[in-house]
Amino acid sequence: MIYFDCAATTLQKPRSVAVAAERAIYTMASPGRGGHDSSMRAADTLYRCRSLAAKLFNVPDPEKVVITFNATHGLNIAIKSLAAKDMPVVISGYEHNAVVRPLYAVGADVRTIKTPLFDKDAFLYEFQSALKNGARLAVCTHVSNVFGYVLPIYEVAGLCHENDVPLIVDASQSAGILDIDFVRLGAAAIAMPGHKSLYGLQGSGLLLCSDNLRPLLEGGTGIQSIPRTMPQALPERLEAGTYCIPAIAGLCEGLSFVLDKKRNDCLDGIGN
Amino acid sequence: MISYLIVSRSITHAQKTARVLERVGITAIVSRLPRQLSQDGCGYCVRISEKRLSDALVAMQHAGISKEKIYVLYDDGSSSEVSV
Repeated sequence: MIYFDCAATTLQKPRSVAVAAERAIYTMASPGRGGHDSSMRAADTLYRCRSLAAKLFNVPDPEKVVITFNATHGLNIAIKSLAAKDMPVVISGYEHNAVVRPLYAVGADVRTIKTPLFDKDAFLYEFQSALKNGARLAVCTHVSNVFGYVLPIYEVAGLCHENDVPLIVDASQSAGILDIDFVRLGAAAIAMPGHKSLYGLQGSGLLLCSDNLRPLLEGGTGIQSIPRTMPQALPERLEAGTYCIPAIAGLCEGLSFVLDKKRNDCLDGIGN
Repeated sequence: MISYLIVSRSITHAQKTARVLERVGITAIVSRLPRQLSQDGCGYCVRISEKRLSDALVAMQHAGISKEKIYVLYDDGSSSEVSV
C-alpha cells in the first residue's frame, strides 16, 4: 500500500513502536503512583521519553518536556496560559483550528497576517509590523498542514525576541522531519503530536515549554498529594491524571528512530 | 547499612538527580519517600550510600540541581534530617 496521509497520522511505523507498546501493556503500571517494580519501570520509560525528546529538540532540561495527549492539548495549555481576553495576538494565516479556536475561546484580539501565499518577505514584514503595533503574544505554525509550506520560524522567533513577545510554535507537521531547536528558537512553548512524524501512537504528544505555563487540567500527579493545588514543579504541574504508558513507550521508540535518522543526516534542513 | 535520602520535588526531578549521580559513578536509587518524612503527601527521593554524600552534593552542584532536604536513614528504620 502507498499511504499518503502522514500529515494526519503516520501509519507505517517502525516495528519497535508496536513491540514497546505491547510490552508496556503487560509490564508497566502508572509512573509516580507507587514504588513497586511495574510503577518504577513505567517511570523509567516516561523519563526516557522526556530525555530522548530533550536530546532531539535541544531542550536543556528533561523537566521542560511535558507529555500531552496530542498537539492540540499542548497548544491549549500554552495558549490558555499566555493569552487573555482582548490581548492582541498575532498569528500566521496558515494556522490550524488547534490554534485559532483556543484563541477565540479565551477572547483574544486575534490579528491574522494576511499576505499572498508563500511570500516569505511579505509575511515577515507584516509579522514584524503586527509585533510593533502592540501584539503581546505570537503563535505560528512551523509547517502548514494544508500546503506543506515551511514558514520561516527561526526568523519569526528572532522578530519576537526583538520585540519581547512570547512565541508559541505549532510543530505538528515538522517535528521529526525538520530541525527544531528549542534553545535557538527561544519559544515560550513548542507543541507537537507523537503520532505523526515522531512515529508514536495516537494519544501521545509533547509540549516543550518554559516555566510560566499554567495547568489546563487539575488532578492527581503522584507527588504532593495533600495540597489542594497542583504542584509547582514542571512537568508534573501540567500533567494531571494517569498517563497512557503504552503510547509513551511507543513514542520512545519513535523518538529513537528519528534520532537515528538525524544521526545519519536524513533530517531535512529546509527552512532553517 | 546507613544511607542518605535526597528529597526531590518530583519524581522527574529525582530521576534527573539520579542520572547525574550515576554519570559520576554514584549508585543512586529513586524511591518513594518514607511516609513519616513526607509532609505534603506522596514524594520521591534518591537513595545513596553514606560514603557518597559529599561526592553527590558536588555533582549536584555542578549540574545545577537544587537540593531540598536530606535525611539519614538508619538500619532500624529511624531517620533524621541532615544539615549540609
